[in-house]
Amino acid sequence: MGPGTTEKALGRACLARPGRVAVSAMHEPDPSFDADAALLARYAQGDPAAARLLATSLTSRLFAHAMRVLGDGMEAEDVVQEAMVRLWRIAPEWRTGEAKVSTWLYRVVANLCTDRLRRRRAVALDDVAEPADPAQSVEQGLQQAARHDALQRALETLPDRQRQAVVLRHIDGLANPEIAVILDVGVEAVESLTARGKRGLAKALASQRDALGFEDDG
Amino acid sequence: MHWGLKMMDRHTNEITDVEAFFADARATPPQVPAALMQRVLEDAEALRPYAGPIGWRGWFRLLGGAPGVGGLVTATCVGIWLGVAPPNVLPDLAGEFLDTTAEFSDESDPGDLTGFGWVLEES
Repeated sequence: MGPGTTEKALGRACLARPGRVAVSAMHEPDPSFDADAALLARYAQGDPAAARLLATSLTSRLFAHAMRVLGDGMEAEDVVQEAMVRLWRIAPEWRTGEAKVSTWLYRVVANLCTDRLRRRRAVALDDVAEPADPAQSVEQGLQQAARHDALQRALETLPDRQRQAVVLRHIDGLANPEIAVILDVGVEAVESLTARGKRGLAKALASQRDALGFEDDG
Repeated sequence: MHWGLKMMDRHTNEITDVEAFFADARATPPQVPAALMQRVLEDAEALRPYAGPIGWRGWFRLLGGAPGVGGLVTATCVGIWLGVAPPNVLPDLAGEFLDTTAEFSDESDPGDLTGFGWVLEES
């Protein structure tokens, strides 16, 4: 099953299964209540403020994820913009269902990233993108920039799926069941991907450890 | 034995390092470029569904759907009926305004009827 088809399948599942309406959350706390879905419903009714709130809360998370997976700011921007366009388009048909809006979006972004990584390998195997935004590196300090670069370089040594799983679990902070939905695999496969990915990262970082000179602050 | 412990220490250090890198990455996420946010908001505006007039379906929902509209129709009919032909205990407001009176006479003999509307004779 290709990346596009899995995302559409999840979209169909969301659309086909109407769930609890947002109003029920006003009376009692509902852990499954999806505030993003409520905002999306308002956007679908023509509320421009809802679009701003959704964009503010979601774009930063998606961009951070895409940056870590792709290691390229321009490509990450393109991926996030495309994912958000798909969200705006699907808004009138969206019904609150099992999958959260953020989960659906992460899945779209993950699939778009996979497409780009495959295309990148097909075009030029030795073309490694710059790992970090130089402006931010200046602000954060040289050592922190070095750490970011080291992490990015280490992430780029991992296979695509391991890299995505590690970023989703350890940097984006998502739970394994949600990652399983995003990557369209079982929870056990997610555990395996993250464990192997973490071991791979540890090895890659250990080889850079002495050169970075931050042994005493970790 | 010593070699095994050394390897275990090294593995523990490596994992600790990885956790420190993750913590750094979580604490300092990349900033969203302003141009990207601008493009996302422009797309949202361009694709925003039109919030047009709500139409009769919208009014129907606003009035509470079928139960709400049913109650409203019933109340309206009762109000009109009471206005046209008020009971004796109420003033005939419509008659006073329109200078007309509506009279109804009941010529039936209640003595011919029982509570069920029939005269039941039993032998």
